[in-house]
Amino acid sequence: MIRLSPQLRAGIQRSTLPVLILLSAAIVIVGKTDQAIFETFRIGLNDAASPVLDVMARPLGAVEAALDRARGLIGIYQENRRLEQDNARLLQWQQVALKLTAENRQLQGLLKVVPDRAVSYVTARVIANSGGAYVRTVMINAGSDSSLTRGQAAITGDGLVGRLTEVGSRAARVLLITDLNSRIPVRIEGSRTSAVLAGDNSERPRLLYIAAPEGVKIGDRVVTSGEGGVFPPDLPVGVVSATGGSGPRVEPYVELSQLNYVMVVDYGLSGALPQPIPPMARPGKRGKAAANNEDPQATARGAR
Amino acid sequence: MALRDFTAPALPRVNSSAARLVPLLTTAIAAILAILPLRIPGYAALTPALALMAVYHWTIYRPDLLPPLGLFAIGIGEDLLAGSLVGVGALTLLVTYAAVFQFRRHFVGRSFPFVWAGFTLVAGGAMVGLWILHCLLEFNFMNPRNTVFRMVLTIAVFPAASFLLGRTQRALVDGPRLLRNR
Repeated sequence: MIRLSPQLRAGIQRSTLPVLILLSAAIVIVGKTDQAIFETFRIGLNDAASPVLDVMARPLGAVEAALDRARGLIGIYQENRRLEQDNARLLQWQQVALKLTAENRQLQGLLKVVPDRAVSYVTARVIANSGGAYVRTVMINAGSDSSLTRGQAAITGDGLVGRLTEVGSRAARVLLITDLNSRIPVRIEGSRTSAVLAGDNSERPRLLYIAAPEGVKIGDRVVTSGEGGVFPPDLPVGVVSATGGSGPRVEPYVELSQLNYVMVVDYGLSGALPQPIPPMARPGKRGKAAANNEDPQATARGAR
Repeated sequence: MALRDFTAPALPRVNSSAARLVPLLTTAIAAILAILPLRIPGYAALTPALALMAVYHWTIYRPDLLPPLGLFAIGIGEDLLAGSLVGVGALTLLVTYAAVFQFRRHFVGRSFPFVWAGFTLVAGGAMVGLWILHCLLEFNFMNPRNTVFRMVLTIAVFPAASFLLGRTQRALVDGPRLLRNR
């Protein structure tokens, strides 16, 4: 160990705090100017921490389940009544849906429509959220090991949640549609009015750049438009809940503060977003990285 | 901006290396607790700043066991895990430490309401500071609603956190020493 004179050591101790404060401020500014600079660290730490977070989040899940069950027991009779009514109503809808599916298939056959690509899903658990008041993201416990890639859409049974922005091998980050940096091409269902759904960290994101603003009414359903090729079209997003003032706002179908599991949709479209420069390939993974480069999609991107 | 040396009675030395780690460890745990997904409606916007409470507590009672380098590491780790702007968390914790350290002799040995009032100032300052910082960084006037809610929640949760931290301190940091001296 290096021996320092007491004065020098005291000097170092006294200057540590101001130096670290300045360093933090510098990091903030550097990180703001170049968002990608800390991405490697971020992904690495997320991967390393995901088993810990996963384990810590589990007791919370158990407590919630117990509370849920207690709450369920109280309202069980009314719930049953409601479900019976729902069931009767849904059986009618099922008939309608079956009839329409058959008709649709027939018409598509007549028109020789190119079928949509097969969609596959990966379901993952939410293991962390963003905590503060200035970002809206969640971390999920699946990553490139489960063949997730950057840009894919995350949904629940209710609708769109967000898209993947950072993907490690075991964990990935989902940028929620309410985040300040989230911009999603959408349209009003049943019309061709397209718009951009822009988050502003509030619970209800705004609709910007609307093609025909006068056509947007409270209660209109908003779905993804599929423009830009990032998301598959027609994923339900939310309903228009307010117009006027600062423009229309959308109430998301998904209760974003209560996410438990999300499904990541592999629609075969990922790659529309520019991929980050891959982290320095470790010796063992070099072969894999080289194989990725020969991916025809990647080559096409490069050519664009 | 050198900090003045503290002139109150010197803090008793803690010899057990495990006990010396307690302040940093509790701060790290507080930082992780704040990002665990609790499914309460609107909660994600309202997570209390738990690490801030730990830093406030330990800076008052055991600043010798709270090295700035450790706070820096916790802050950076928190930012990376939470997906927020890197450095903001570290900056918050370090500035809080520096500010509380300047005034800590006013808080040592005082009654809880006084300590709580002090925390109200610290949390208020930190939240307003964060809000201004984010407004500047985004070149945008951000709605202060979430910031105000988070501030109120943080101040309201402080007594519980302070109780737990005080218990932890007595049991793990101060306790063994008292037993040994007897």
